[in-house]
Amino acid sequence: MENTVVKIQNLVKRYDDLVALDHLELEIKEGEVFGLLGPNGSGKTTTINCLLSLLSFDKGEIEIFGKKMTPVSYDIKKDIGIIMQNVAVFDELTVYENIDYFCGLYITDKATRKQYVDEAVSFVGLEDFLKFYPKKLSGGLLRRLNIACGIAHKPKLIILDEPTVAVDPQSRNKILEGIEELNKNGATVIYTSHYMEEVEQICTRIAIMDKGKKIAEGTKDELKRMIKNTETVTIEIMELPDSAKQQLAELPHVYEVTCSENKLTVCCSGGKHNLIRILDVLQKNDLSFGRVYSELPTLNDVFLEITGKALRDKED
Amino acid sequence: MFLHNLKYELKSSIRAKDLIFWLMIFPVVLGTFFKIAFDGIYEKTTKFNTIPVAVVEVQKNPVFNSVAETLEEGDTPFLKAEYTDRKKALELLENEKVEGIIYLDEKLSLSVAEEGIEETMLKAFVEEYTAEEKIITDAVKNDPMKAQAVIDAFSQEVDVCKEIPLTQGNPDNLIQYFYNLIAMVGIYGTITGLHITINKQANLSALGARNNCSPTPKSVGLCASLIGSFMVQAVCMIICVTYLAFVLRIDFGDRLPPVYLAAIIGGMMGVSLGFMVGSIGRMSVDAKVGISMAVSMTLCFLSGLMVGDMKAVVASKIPWFNNINPVAVMSDSFYCLNIYSDYRRFLTKIATLLIMTAVFSVLGFIFSRRKKYASL
Repeated sequence: MENTVVKIQNLVKRYDDLVALDHLELEIKEGEVFGLLGPNGSGKTTTINCLLSLLSFDKGEIEIFGKKMTPVSYDIKKDIGIIMQNVAVFDELTVYENIDYFCGLYITDKATRKQYVDEAVSFVGLEDFLKFYPKKLSGGLLRRLNIACGIAHKPKLIILDEPTVAVDPQSRNKILEGIEELNKNGATVIYTSHYMEEVEQICTRIAIMDKGKKIAEGTKDELKRMIKNTETVTIEIMELPDSAKQQLAELPHVYEVTCSENKLTVCCSGGKHNLIRILDVLQKNDLSFGRVYSELPTLNDVFLEITGKALRDKED
Repeated sequence: MFLHNLKYELKSSIRAKDLIFWLMIFPVVLGTFFKIAFDGIYEKTTKFNTIPVAVVEVQKNPVFNSVAETLEEGDTPFLKAEYTDRKKALELLENEKVEGIIYLDEKLSLSVAEEGIEETMLKAFVEEYTAEEKIITDAVKNDPMKAQAVIDAFSQEVDVCKEIPLTQGNPDNLIQYFYNLIAMVGIYGTITGLHITINKQANLSALGARNNCSPTPKSVGLCASLIGSFMVQAVCMIICVTYLAFVLRIDFGDRLPPVYLAAIIGGMMGVSLGFMVGSIGRMSVDAKVGISMAVSMTLCFLSGLMVGDMKAVVASKIPWFNNINPVAVMSDSFYCLNIYSDYRRFLTKIATLLIMTAVFSVLGFIFSRRKKYASL
């Protein structure tokens, strides 16, 4: 995890008055599964497109494998695999032909290519669909084909831009397992997604973007430590007198107490034994309660707290 | 890399349903409709056919018999006389077996059932015969010594017009519709050409973006796609001409191989035009498809594909335009081939098409060479 695979410095991209990327800095090390999180319009896909030299940018430097990335950096491109947000395959070619075509853009030796294509087919589990045309595939299978086309040539750096959109749980699981396997085999992965649980499951380091800026970066634990909430206790309860609510709010480390629809929620920030102290208050007030849940913060909590809860209606 | 790209360009093109429809099925169907609509119109309306006529001899007229016999000679005789009685002659006229009835009485008279070219020609013949017969009869009466000279004078065929055939081609004007049909298939190559840029430009499709991320140089991919599209278009043009020539039996004269050549080059020009239009600007795919179709249709319209005499109108108003309208040039190349016996004009048109193809292709490459896009 020492070598830097991707280095983005001071990247600025403007669309007229709109600043899509605002002095973005990123560094991705070899062997990482790097998650790029952000609401719609935060600049994730723009970052990917600049990284791939598809988009021009106003300012900044991009280096991949220690070399400056340009549209004609073919020696760099041969080691990159890209899985786009939109499925990019030929409708007129079969599953096998599509994988063979894209693999052939990177691998010229026929025997090696055949071996790689067969391995990619097996990797995404499309053996039974080799002669199918993309239009005959389900959404999940199509996504898997899209991935196979992007990784067949065994790239060192794999960029996945929301690869699991509109995919059934089984296919999603297969895809995530596949990404973990690719990473185990030595590939560095950049992964963008809206699905927090996916990012939490597979990413070793995460950057959260908003309005073209990187607003947080770190491992899952590091990110979770950045936010106020460290524990949320939820208790099924018939009623909660105001006096008891007041006592709960005055407990150490408790910063929010809410009760609605027979559900008491207590948010804590730091500290230990929060649950015991809360239950003690309920017993002292002779309040009966049902099931009790204690949840540690998720990446979703981190994301919402850092980026805010306001709706974003702008497409990235 | 190049051959790999070419192989899959060919595979994807021949399986593209929209291309197959517009480049193969549509011209076959339209050509068949043309054939059904125009079949026999030339023979019926323009080409001269022997006029069948019934002759009723009320009294014997050996002079007329002799003249009629002369007119029934040759490859395409003027008359085909059927000597019969009045009742049978009327029956033949009623059943449209003859165009008219000539009565040989003291004076020659003619009965026809309707007006038409054949009827007019019969009337002219009867009037001319009557006039000449009177002159000869008068000459015999008034100056028998000169009668033979008068007869000889009438016997001499005086031609004021001399037919000089320029070609062995098909003189049927309706053949122009089939030329235009081939030209239209050629210009539909713009659809094929447009597909090249759609699949290769990162700002037009996800496929384009993925292709641009690969280590295959853009120029190699574009070159393979362009050549592949030329090949597919050439096959479509060959199928079109073959169907017209051998299935619908459209008479393209005696020079079918050059027709194939012109069709193939015309198709290549269409592909390169689409490639160039697709490469211009930063419009969306839909906008580019719309512009391509509008350009193609406008060029077809101005070349007379939709309105028969439009090319003549354009020639009179803006004469230079027909020389740069690719569809008109393509259509003209077929016309030159059919009408003129030498290849000079045909080769000029072919050279023009080749130059257009080269110019459009080079411009397409220049416009496509942009490596980064301001927006995707």
